[in-house]
Amino acid sequence: MENLFFSLMTDLLNQTGLMSITIGNIIMIFVGAVLLYLGIVKKYEPFLLVGIGLACIVANVPGSELTKEGGLFYYAYQGVEKLILPPLIFLGVGAMTDFGPMIANPSLVILGAAAHLGIFVALIGAKLFGFTLAEACSIGIIGGADGPMAIYTTMKLAPHLLPQISVAAYSYMALMPLIQPPVMRLLTTKEERQIIMKQPRYVSRLEKIVFPVVIAVIVNLFLPPVAPLITMLMLGNLLRESLCVDRLAETASNALLNIVTLVLTVAIGSTMAAETFLTPNTLLIIGLGLVAFVFGTGSGVVCARIMCKLTHGQINPLIGSAGIASVPIAARVSHMVGQQENRRNFLIMHAMGPNLAGVFGTAISGGIMLALLAH
Amino acid sequence: MNTLPDTISGALILSCIDFVLSFIFISFIGVILYFFPKMNRLGEIKEKKN
Repeated sequence: MENLFFSLMTDLLNQTGLMSITIGNIIMIFVGAVLLYLGIVKKYEPFLLVGIGLACIVANVPGSELTKEGGLFYYAYQGVEKLILPPLIFLGVGAMTDFGPMIANPSLVILGAAAHLGIFVALIGAKLFGFTLAEACSIGIIGGADGPMAIYTTMKLAPHLLPQISVAAYSYMALMPLIQPPVMRLLTTKEERQIIMKQPRYVSRLEKIVFPVVIAVIVNLFLPPVAPLITMLMLGNLLRESLCVDRLAETASNALLNIVTLVLTVAIGSTMAAETFLTPNTLLIIGLGLVAFVFGTGSGVVCARIMCKLTHGQINPLIGSAGIASVPIAARVSHMVGQQENRRNFLIMHAMGPNLAGVFGTAISGGIMLALLAH
Repeated sequence: MNTLPDTISGALILSCIDFVLSFIFISFIGVILYFFPKMNRLGEIKEKKN
């Protein structure tokens, strides 16, 4: 009787995940807990980190069926793998974004290209560490600070690196309020950070309606590899600006975007299983991603500083870092650092111009990489 | 179709081409945006939602 009891208990124990948990699983569960802490307690992009953190923890519990074929997280990941979710995210982002600040100040769009030096520093760095050129490009695009674009490019060039690259891209985007300010302060003077910029001009409804149509045509004409993403971004924006399909714009920017974000974060977190994630390459990719963010922030600030000199102090160099994309996180960081220097300085609208241009900058970089390599 | 060599020099060539073309494309968008205010002469669309 006693033997039967112990035999049954052993069988029960063997059916749980307790017997197959590894040190790697424990480390990744800790990583997931840190992401949850940063999201919930520190409020660093909780919309991203809460889903990623919990899915990371669940993906490393050995008994979990959620990430296996047939599980809900597995199907969430299919949305990423089949490139369905990134364009839908862009649709929602377009529907909630006012491109007025970018249209109002065309001279600032150059910062959207300048702040992408980090992409190429990380690309060359990855090549030096022995990655293939396609893998290096996927790693470099982390520096574009654009999650959907990073996923899209990686799925075309180096799909096996998707877990590491998407986690690095989204984690660093969430941590931008920590990464960017020291670089911004290092490369600017106190006087420059206090510059108050002129109010941007009024942008008419006609301009806002024509903008997405023109950009969609340009991107489809010159950058077909990334056209699905930018076209959806522009469709979302046209829904918003046309003012005649409010329900569609409202759905795309709220309900749809929330649902897709939820599915996307869960999908990314579910790829963080210890056996695929805890490799030396992951550490390299995460390190190179940080290098890309730092250099991108720095190059954007330096370019804005040059523009500041050329315009005799009319441009606050802090807005340069917003050219790295990651709308609107990078613009908020510019605004926050500006406010710390001068409470009356409201840089958010000025920073949104380069920030939005950064989306196109990343798309252009990714599009050129895909055009040259994805064949 | 020509392919880039999978070497450091390939990475350097790709980076240079990409960085320069990014500036050119973005500047092109900037130039187009520069002319946007001119279209307001064509007329205006009322801001009121339906």
